[in-house]
Amino acid sequence: MAEREYRRLTRTHMRRAGFFAAFATRSSLWLGKDHLLSIDSTGYTEQYKRFYFRDIQAILFVASKRRAIWNWVLIIPTVLCLAWLATALSSSRNRDAGAIIAAAISASIFTVPLLINNLLGPTCACHLRTAVQTEELPPLSRVRRARKILNRIRPLIAAAQGQLAPEDISARMRGWVESPAAAPASPRAPDPSFVVDDPNAPPRSVP
Amino acid sequence: MNSPLVQCPRCRASLLDGIFNQPEPSPCPACSVPLQIEVFPALFRRIASGRDGETVMVEGESTCYYHPNKKAVLPCQGCGRFLCALCDCDLNGQHFCPACLETGKAKGKIKNLENQRTLYDSIALALTVLPIAVVFGVYFTFITAPMALYIAIRYWNAPRSIVHRTRIRYVIAMVLATLQIAGWILLIYFITTARSRHHG
Repeated sequence: MAEREYRRLTRTHMRRAGFFAAFATRSSLWLGKDHLLSIDSTGYTEQYKRFYFRDIQAILFVASKRRAIWNWVLIIPTVLCLAWLATALSSSRNRDAGAIIAAAISASIFTVPLLINNLLGPTCACHLRTAVQTEELPPLSRVRRARKILNRIRPLIAAAQGQLAPEDISARMRGWVESPAAAPASPRAPDPSFVVDDPNAPPRSVP
Repeated sequence: MNSPLVQCPRCRASLLDGIFNQPEPSPCPACSVPLQIEVFPALFRRIASGRDGETVMVEGESTCYYHPNKKAVLPCQGCGRFLCALCDCDLNGQHFCPACLETGKAKGKIKNLENQRTLYDSIALALTVLPIAVVFGVYFTFITAPMALYIAIRYWNAPRSIVHRTRIRYVIAMVLATLQIAGWILLIYFITTARSRHHG
């Protein structure tokens, strides 16, 4: 069997782009031979972004409050449903099996997502920086998963770029700032004679 | 963005070294949000300036196809034409002329440049499944089933998702569409025969 070109790193995750869930873009992350592939899918079309290991400058994780928000959203109906279930169970005289089942189903609808939300661990937002863009990676929304993926791709990036020790960073930053070449090259002012003489320039009429 | 200054994604404050490549998250000096930043040597790599083509000095030297007075440095891997340093477009180790790069992107010949695909298999499957999943949607299968069958046959060999994906959606769509079309044919047949019996 031929080796697959891409290996799945994460499951699909909703990108915060669409208002309606039905039309929202789902994003997933795949590992290629020399790059990360981010796929944004609407279900009927896919858009690809490739991040070559040699071009990745930084990966940033920012802690987010998404887990706490979801906890507050889920905990209130969970408590209400559990109270309903407790009431249904405690009414010993005329136990209504239908009410108990309805309360149990309602409680599980909110309890299971609440448990999953907490079992998956703290949330974060992950950003990947290259020379030309900083891209958010929605699939890496949990700290544990993000670290796992980072540990997996770090050796691949190091193989493409080399290692960078923490003590080297400050030295390199200083070197960048102090070096006269650090300033971004200003665009060369157009020299009329140069432009006219340049054989690569497009044809133009010279008065 | 050719600068080693990394900004906090939350407050956009420039971050100084000391919080990079740490095993545990550190607070942003400006907004105090916990940050974990992993930087790589590419952050300090300066973007190389573009090269100019070298002018031909010796007669008989191979020249660029697009610039006859520039020295050829390598052939295009798409069309084989000689290219000068100016026309050489390096794409992850492969060298193309601008024309091949444009054609490759437009026609999807260079896979690394492909940035979008249409999933015809998902469209065909949705055309067969969605109408029967919604109320009164089954009447729409009169139109959607032939459409799904057409799409499944027409795009059978079209590229699917760039990641591994089988043709199972096409197969399911074709089976469902065929069943729906067969159902409509049977329904029309029974209606017409029942009417002819009633009139006869």
